[in-house]
Amino acid sequence: MSAEEPSVADEVRTTVTVDTDRPWALVGLAAFWGWLLVRWTNDFLLPDGMAFPSEQSFFPAAPFSAAAESLGATAASLGLVGAPLDVLAGLLGFVAGAIPSLPALARGAWLTILLTVAGIAFGFVLAVPLSVARVYGGRGLRWLSLSYTELIRGTPLLAQLFVLYFGLPLTQIIREVPGVGVGFVPATAVWVAIIGFTLNSAAYQAEYIRSALESVDVGQLTAARSIGLSKVDGIRYVVLPQGLRYAIPGWSNELVYLIKYSSLAAFITVRELFFQAESIANDTFRYTELFVLAALFYLALVVSASLLMNLVEERTSVPGIGGKRQA
Amino acid sequence: MTLLRVEDVHKSYGDEEVLKGVSFEMDRGDVDVLMGPSGSGKSTMLRCINRLTEIDSGDVWLDGTPVYGPDTDVNELRQDVGMVFQDFNLFAHLTALENVTLGLKRVLGVPEAEATDRAADHLAQVGLAAQTDSYPAELSGGQQQRVGIARALAMEPKLMLFDEPTSALDPELVGEVVEVMRDLAERGMTMLVVSHEMGFARSAADDIHFLDSGRIVESGPPEQLFQRPEHDRTNEFLTGLQSNGH
Repeated sequence: MSAEEPSVADEVRTTVTVDTDRPWALVGLAAFWGWLLVRWTNDFLLPDGMAFPSEQSFFPAAPFSAAAESLGATAASLGLVGAPLDVLAGLLGFVAGAIPSLPALARGAWLTILLTVAGIAFGFVLAVPLSVARVYGGRGLRWLSLSYTELIRGTPLLAQLFVLYFGLPLTQIIREVPGVGVGFVPATAVWVAIIGFTLNSAAYQAEYIRSALESVDVGQLTAARSIGLSKVDGIRYVVLPQGLRYAIPGWSNELVYLIKYSSLAAFITVRELFFQAESIANDTFRYTELFVLAALFYLALVVSASLLMNLVEERTSVPGIGGKRQA
Repeated sequence: MTLLRVEDVHKSYGDEEVLKGVSFEMDRGDVDVLMGPSGSGKSTMLRCINRLTEIDSGDVWLDGTPVYGPDTDVNELRQDVGMVFQDFNLFAHLTALENVTLGLKRVLGVPEAEATDRAADHLAQVGLAAQTDSYPAELSGGQQQRVGIARALAMEPKLMLFDEPTSALDPELVGEVVEVMRDLAERGMTMLVVSHEMGFARSAADDIHFLDSGRIVESGPPEQLFQRPEHDRTNEFLTGLQSNGH
């Protein structure tokens, strides 16, 4: 193929919006999500009789540990030359050690995702009025919104979670709600964590949206008012649709942060990803393996989130607003 | 019959008095042009008519309604006053058609299908039947300004305000906008235009008001103002304009 001819890959790039530069990442993510979905379906949805035991991994660990052992022995007999084999043996050993903890981590990942999605979504619902109040509100509303944002952003998230969980009678109230902790409905601590992440994320999202709203040209609202739209309607139909598009990159950041910060829920007894990894590590003393494994889970979630947000950004972009690949 | 009456309007920004008692009247179907050096208060005067800027004292009446009356609903008032901006200010996230339908749907409550039809008609009227689905970023300045005019017209206003509608345009695009405005004038729209577009003023204006430092120095039909200005200040300004190729 000559250099001038547009390659097939170029064609694909203009039509497929997902990052095609990293096929290995996509394959890895597809395997990760496929496994997670099968695992959740098996553990949460299938009745006990039909399901694969929920504590048992889909993959046998024995072949990996056997291979690791024999490779290690071979490496030892080869001396210095066997060093690369030794590394391979170490990797296989890691895999063998990781396999038994996978089911627990899958359950933890479910809560991590639940906390993150709920936090970002409910936080967004609060963040929009907070940011609008900050930019367009009267003195009182501006002050209120600013105080809230500063209070939340100026104190540690962990401290906020502790206040909600230990300090306020929130847990007693939630515990009384019928259905909490039964079947699919998350337990009390999870609800407290969702409330905490919502309140916290709202403040950060409000900051991102505020600066995005401020970057919308003032003439836009003037024009909206000039055709007879009220200020509220002008903000709703003209300013927000543009500002929210501008906010997407910052918003993606917040999503990525929240995935990782959700690990703080472990400290109020939520059995999310970090909690699961730590408790297995405490039992087995395999700290390095478990935390490396948990890190790989977080990495997969974060990369998935940023791919998803890229997609959202491109899908919502219109000529002149948003989107990354405009010349 | 008087459509617009502006009476002794004063407006200050801080210590600076921008309008120092401006008065004029327009009949239905009149086309008046406000001219004057920059900072003379022309744009402020326009914005005081639809209350994008509030006056300090004086009075404005539109079609017998006191614009600054205690019972006047600003949003209803603005439906009667279309405005076209120097920087177009098209809604950047909406197509040309959606720019025009937004007001129809959200202000006048026109159903979707009818709003689309009416908006398409207005766009065709300004020569943009083929651009209905284009976003502002995809249109030239002249096209954007014509969408701006269609957007204002769609509300079926009694009065159209033009705030330097051609001054942000490349010279070769001015003509298409002026043509639309001239067409509008011929069809009887009442128009108050802030512009230094001599060609438009000469051919379409009934009266020209020359504004300097917050006061109307001189008013009159174009031939009178252009040929026999009474005031030195007017003469000086118009001579300057003409020598700049306007």
